[in-house]
Amino acid sequence: MANPTAPPSGPISRLTDWLANLPPPSHWVRPLGLLGPAGTWLFLLMVIPTFLILEISLVPGLRLGEPGGSYGLDNYLRIFQPVYLRVIARSLNFALASTLMCLVMGFPVAYWLALMSPKRWRNLLLVSFVLPLWTSSLLRAYAWTTILRSAGVFNTILGLLMLPPQNWLHTPIAVLIGLTYSFLPYMVLILYASLEKLDTRLLEAAADLGATPQQAFWKITVPQTLPGIAAGCLLVFITTLGDFVVPTLLGGASSMNIARLIYNQFLGPTRAWGFGSALSMVLILAVSLAIALLLKYGDKSSVSETSQ
Amino acid sequence: VERKGPFISTYKRYSMMPGRRRFLQGSAAAIAGMALANCRQNLANVNPAGSSSTNAEAGASSDTLYIFTWANYTDTSLADAFTELTGIKVVIDIFDSNETMLTKMQAGGGSAYSIIYPSDYMVSEMISLGLLQELDPTRIQGLENLLDKWIDPAYDSKNAHSIPFSWGTTGLLYNREAVPGTPTDWSYLWENQQALSGQISMLDDMRETLGAVLKGLGYSYNSTDPAQLEEAYNKLLELKPHLASFKSSGFEDEILGGDLNVVMSYSSDAIPITLEDERMEYIIPASGSSLWTDTMAIPVSAPNVEAAYQWLNFILDPAVSKAAVERLFFATPNKAAYELLPDELKANNDLYPPQDILAKCEGIQSIDSASNDLFDQYWTQVVSA
Repeated sequence: MANPTAPPSGPISRLTDWLANLPPPSHWVRPLGLLGPAGTWLFLLMVIPTFLILEISLVPGLRLGEPGGSYGLDNYLRIFQPVYLRVIARSLNFALASTLMCLVMGFPVAYWLALMSPKRWRNLLLVSFVLPLWTSSLLRAYAWTTILRSAGVFNTILGLLMLPPQNWLHTPIAVLIGLTYSFLPYMVLILYASLEKLDTRLLEAAADLGATPQQAFWKITVPQTLPGIAAGCLLVFITTLGDFVVPTLLGGASSMNIARLIYNQFLGPTRAWGFGSALSMVLILAVSLAIALLLKYGDKSSVSETSQ
Repeated sequence: VERKGPFISTYKRYSMMPGRRRFLQGSAAAIAGMALANCRQNLANVNPAGSSSTNAEAGASSDTLYIFTWANYTDTSLADAFTELTGIKVVIDIFDSNETMLTKMQAGGGSAYSIIYPSDYMVSEMISLGLLQELDPTRIQGLENLLDKWIDPAYDSKNAHSIPFSWGTTGLLYNREAVPGTPTDWSYLWENQQALSGQISMLDDMRETLGAVLKGLGYSYNSTDPAQLEEAYNKLLELKPHLASFKSSGFEDEILGGDLNVVMSYSSDAIPITLEDERMEYIIPASGSSLWTDTMAIPVSAPNVEAAYQWLNFILDPAVSKAAVERLFFATPNKAAYELLPDELKANNDLYPPQDILAKCEGIQSIDSASNDLFDQYWTQVVSA
């Protein structure tokens, strides 16, 4: 910020110039005070580690305790082996399928809560729907092993109904059930926030003008809540894509996804930190892309209201 | 105040039982109880010391000994006996594979631990990485009690860095009433993969599981021949769709509850299950298996070396070892402790297999890093498939 017409100056006078040109403290002390703690936190524990992961991902064959080699892209190229592409495809499938399930099951619930449930019970109903989130996600996923195991609750019920037993534990079906169950409350919350703001007078007007309830739903309700639907879907998609607990507990050997693969590279038997870091960067990239989409197309107000 | 809810009464019963698994013995275990046991099991893997481990992050003080060990090696009464003797509190954390332990130690997450329990090949690896302290023999009493085989083990010459704690085998634990025929060898898994689909688990351990497949093919557990490794990889891939999971611990409820019927297991985890449920059998496969030694060692980063030596001497005490074996069912390399054992344990072929079976087993050895990479790659591909 040194004045280019000023006589040649040493570093000290350049510094004083810079300081003199700063806006007065009243303009930046307060924002700095407000942003400082969180900013420092994020910088130290988020930005720096991400760059460390990026660096590690660029060292092929890195192993703790052994001298690292030179930089290269081998770790990224390894991801393109069919077996790992299948892992990524499997993760995407889990995320897409559970997002769809959450939407299909969550929308009617949110619709009922926002538009049809008795008003004085509404808050209580909403809280009771979110109640499961007060227990550990690990515990909730584990409960499903008791339900789905071969001699579990589910098969007992099937038996009572004279239906053949199903061995779903340790299969992708169990993972899908677990993911849908875990993330359904988030979807409902976001859809609820969006549906609550629906202008019901438009629905009345549509009915007056002779629209059937179906027409009114597809032409008024859905378009008006589209940003909320997008926000809910993207949030569920992002979280299920990187979920570790449910596939590990319910999927057994059948359901290696990208989060488990990354875990194995760092803490599992194979200590390939470089490969694990490359996988992490791919996941970070995918999630960033999804978040970018969310920011561009999502209903920002409903996101900020429901996800603290 | 006595509360009589089902959870409370189940929990009380459960916590008063001598063994966690005995609780599950009753076939009519209520679903609530099942779930509780499950949770406990799972939490136990994360931080098993339960009551006392909340201050594990507080760092080491001279009156506390932090131990990093395998599941089922140290129970409360062992820890309490040590505390009573020395006044030093014990905090125990658990790992379920050598590699996990190594990673934690290397990444600096294990700097609170003064005693760790690496297995044989990992001792060699950690010595070469400079992670283990050389032990001072003048501070250790009772080494003369070790069986001849462990006086100068191949993995750690003259026990310079480690003290053997237990030994055992790897084999198949199965439910006699639920499996077709009688398993005798590794090949049983492949021959019955259809009938047992979804009811088999194998160890989540690269060297053990790929090693077992190598052994089943007639090769060595420690083979580094790329062609043999590839053959083993393809063979394991054949079985993979029928495996329920790769698990090194926490399968107890699943085999007792009937979800799993054949489990590849360490003898020390399998024997307690065979003793509590007579349907359960453990075999060492006929083509041979791995014969392992788990040791106690002091990491170079140990903050409380004095307490660590006291722990080593405590465990080397024949009476202490004998009592621990009677509760935890690992085979002790301590001759004097072995002599003290009741005859029924000495005669237990799962715990102390006959010589002709042991002769076919091998110890897992540390291999060069190129071969290790190859193991890594095949293992990651198998579990990802």
